[in-house]
Amino acid sequence: MRSLLIRLYPARWRARYGDEFEAILDERPLGPFDVADILLGALDAQLRLRGHGASILQERGFSMSLRIGGIAAILGGALWPVAFFITAGNRGDIGPIDPVVARLLLITGSLALLVALAGLSAFQARTHPRLAWTAFALPAVGTIASIVGIIGFQLNEDYFLAWALGTITFFVGSTLFAITTYRTAALSRGAALLLGVASVLTMIFLMSGGANPSPILVVIALSLFGLGWFGLGIQAIRLDRPTTEARPA
Amino acid sequence: MEPKIPEFGRFAEPSLLILVSLSDGPKHGYAIMQDVESGTGRPMGAGTLYAALVRLEEQGLIEPLAPVERRRPYRLTAVGASNLAVQLRGLSQFAQQGLRQLGESQP
Repeated sequence: MRSLLIRLYPARWRARYGDEFEAILDERPLGPFDVADILLGALDAQLRLRGHGASILQERGFSMSLRIGGIAAILGGALWPVAFFITAGNRGDIGPIDPVVARLLLITGSLALLVALAGLSAFQARTHPRLAWTAFALPAVGTIASIVGIIGFQLNEDYFLAWALGTITFFVGSTLFAITTYRTAALSRGAALLLGVASVLTMIFLMSGGANPSPILVVIALSLFGLGWFGLGIQAIRLDRPTTEARPA
Repeated sequence: MEPKIPEFGRFAEPSLLILVSLSDGPKHGYAIMQDVESGTGRPMGAGTLYAALVRLEEQGLIEPLAPVERRRPYRLTAVGASNLAVQLRGLSQFAQQGLRQLGESQP
């Protein structure tokens, strides 16, 4: 994977920095955060060396940060439960909102949570790379399944299985992410615990089949799920304050 | 005359952190990342590190040394040290002014 990532950089860049860059990548396990940061770095290098450098050097550039992960966690934590309620309320296509719009909202929330899973996993992946990757990969596959489900819905195919798969993977991924975060204490353990408990509870409620859990319990669990992501996002943004801001002693 | 501070856009912050890290001697990339992370509590990815290193090298603020195995250390140039001092003095003056104003506004 390392050599593949380096190949994304321009040949001229690799000729100058390739060896030392590869040496750095060999120093520690790569997690989703690192891979996202390298992808953005490669894009930056490609744009600069293809003649867009004058403006790119001065004005723009691409990098991964806790702040991006934090903003995505807040956005995804707010959007995902709301979109889920709307989507679930639209079962039978008789809801107040166009089912396609509802599912597009859910996918937007899913994409935001994927960015959050990558952006907030930098420190966790150093000690638990497999857990961090699994926490990211499952929802990523689930999001693809959801997108397939939406396309199937447009074609009047049976989409429910794909949608359900996409939904469940987010709770499994969030649970694994909560476990790694709690174990490494990379971010708030309280928020990680809240996220983990809410994810497990929601999964139990949704998979209980004929038991038909009270809707209020599902609402509470999903709200706590959103709050867990919100708490992690807020803390990430606070950690990623600019250097120009004074830090408490 | 004070040196002109180059603009680094989104990489201004990582660039400043790298210059500070190199202020106590040459370091290779991984050591810079560790130094920045331990100093700020924030992760620095390899993509961000090298995007900033390339810009700093192009502007003549740092220079590469001979590689040790595959690790290549970098060090501050005289221009880089002078540039860093200007930036830090600016930050310090800004902080002092803010503290003074805060002190004056307190009862």
